[in-house]
Amino acid sequence: MSTTPHRHEAPPANKGLLALAGVLLAIPIVALLLVGTYAKDEPRLGGFPFFIWYQFLWVIICSALTYSAYRIVLKARPHVPMNPEGDAYLDADDAPREDGTR
Amino acid sequence: MTASAPAVAALAPSADTGGVNGVALTVLIFFFVVVAAAGFWAARWRRPTSMESLEEWGLGGRSFGTWITWFLLGGDLYTAYTFVAVPAAMWAFGAVNGFFAVPYTIILYPIIFIFMSRLWSVSHRHGYVTPADFVHGRSGSRGLSLAVAVTGFLATMPYIALQLVGIQAVLEVAGVGGGGNWVAKDLPLFIAFLVLALYTYTSGLRAPAIIAFVKDILIYIVIIVAVIYLPSKVGGWGHVFDAAEEKMKTTTNAATGNPNVFIPGPKAYWAYATLALGSAMALFMYPHSVTATLSAKSRNTIRKNASILPAYSFLLGLLALLGWVAIAAGTKPVGLDGKVNGQLVIPQLFEDMFPAWFAGVAFAAIAIGALVPAAIMSIAAANTFTRNIYKAWIKPDATVQQEAKVSKITSLVVKGFALIFVLTLDKSNAINFQLLGGIWILQTFPSLVFYLYTRWFHRWALLAGWAVGMVYGTLAAYNVTNKATGAPFAGSVANIPVIGQLGYIAVTAFAANVIVAAVLTLVLRAAKAPEGKDETIPADYFADAGDPRVEKLAVGPHETTPSA
Repeated sequence: MSTTPHRHEAPPANKGLLALAGVLLAIPIVALLLVGTYAKDEPRLGGFPFFIWYQFLWVIICSALTYSAYRIVLKARPHVPMNPEGDAYLDADDAPREDGTR
Repeated sequence: MTASAPAVAALAPSADTGGVNGVALTVLIFFFVVVAAAGFWAARWRRPTSMESLEEWGLGGRSFGTWITWFLLGGDLYTAYTFVAVPAAMWAFGAVNGFFAVPYTIILYPIIFIFMSRLWSVSHRHGYVTPADFVHGRSGSRGLSLAVAVTGFLATMPYIALQLVGIQAVLEVAGVGGGGNWVAKDLPLFIAFLVLALYTYTSGLRAPAIIAFVKDILIYIVIIVAVIYLPSKVGGWGHVFDAAEEKMKTTTNAATGNPNVFIPGPKAYWAYATLALGSAMALFMYPHSVTATLSAKSRNTIRKNASILPAYSFLLGLLALLGWVAIAAGTKPVGLDGKVNGQLVIPQLFEDMFPAWFAGVAFAAIAIGALVPAAIMSIAAANTFTRNIYKAWIKPDATVQQEAKVSKITSLVVKGFALIFVLTLDKSNAINFQLLGGIWILQTFPSLVFYLYTRWFHRWALLAGWAVGMVYGTLAAYNVTNKATGAPFAGSVANIPVIGQLGYIAVTAFAANVIVAAVLTLVLRAAKAPEGKDETIPADYFADAGDPRVEKLAVGPHETTPSA
């Protein structure tokens, strides 16, 4: 396994974009774990207590944030195909063909 | 029978449940037959050259795209727990016991987004089918792998039992299974169980994937009708919440002695947050969740899914609120034995309020909604047993055909165990066992997820941490006694040491697990304990469909024990 020591590591990535995706993913987790910020009855919306509709709202926000993170991650670390032996990456020239978008 | 007089039925539900609801039952049986036929037909769908391998039988050939994976994961994650137990908890105890499931299923997706694609990639490269496969390959420790496998197998069983409880609840409200003698009482359940077992046996993962379509369509129709129609029948959502508030503020939970909750007060914040977080972290440690994820055809299928799966969370929230609609509707979930059984509240609400034929559709939705996950769970538990216990410890030279054979048989055995759970345990007890399952399975999180990122933790330290978490979690849960009956395992929330608030035991045990693992790692490093061989390379964690798979036989010197 040690015959091809080069390029065993992770494919190159834009660290800034990855961090941004991480932040987008962390937002809903933090927001929903702070129960004290939304455990209240008022204001009601169409009869729904704030506690209920606020959490429903986060379903949609979280979905949007996760989708954004998905697009960002695809950009931040494009897929780099491996060589036929599967122990190293193909050279950069023939690499950026597929990035997983479909 | 209730079609013409739903109001009368609502007033006298206990008299009503005594009889068989003929129309509803006929509709239920019709859908059941359709689904069973689809299950058997599924063996031919995208027909492989042979079903006699775990790749095909257990992972559907790893060929499922975004939409099938979406249906499969949905069919997998939203179970009788969602359709029966969560609304029942809302009905009986309120928001902390029930509605935490909404934040749980929201934060679930960012969490799996982060690590699941790595697990997909490395599993794709090395042919891993179960979490324990990966742990073995990464740590080189058969002991740690066995610990993960046994935990997965153990925690899955009561979860399958819960699905059977869901089916039983529907059948009970439909009026069957109530005969005086033992056989008549459980016969419908046996038949449902047998059909499930047989089509799982022949079609493997393809069966639930096909049936998940039927299930999801039925569920969506029923839920949409229910949330539009039912609140208007009982005086609107405003009235529903007022009725719920009234009930929650005037009752207490007899089992725990805690007051019931309309909206959590400051004392319940920790409980609500840790129940959501612990459940979210635990869910994708179950072998069946991992199975469904690995059957996706590319690395990014999972991430794309993470952004569309929350549609199910919306559904789940609405379902949970039906528990409160039932309060406003005055639903009385009285079982055939004449006792109040909270698990019956949703089927009973449907029978009281819907025309009989639509109640039948709703029953079918719930029953099929329990069959799909039961099938997937038993397949995953069987895969785990075959690969990580049978092959790793009993018969290392088993052929691919033998593996598939053992898996198929184990899938029957595991359902048999689940059936025993249903027949012998108190139903409300089964839910507590499922919560205990969450406590157990979360203890495999460090071995699985930490290892996806780092090998810093020593394998023996992870094993010790796991043991501490398991023992602490089990004891803490055992010590939660039912204040009314004195029975142990009455709940999954206990005082968190140091913080001094009530919280989900799984999270406390997990914290102890991680601390022990970290401290022992430092000790073992200092003592220069052997590290074990890692068969993965960093590039494996980023592989996608199209990249070459590692051929195990050709791989090399680290293969001291054949693993796949």
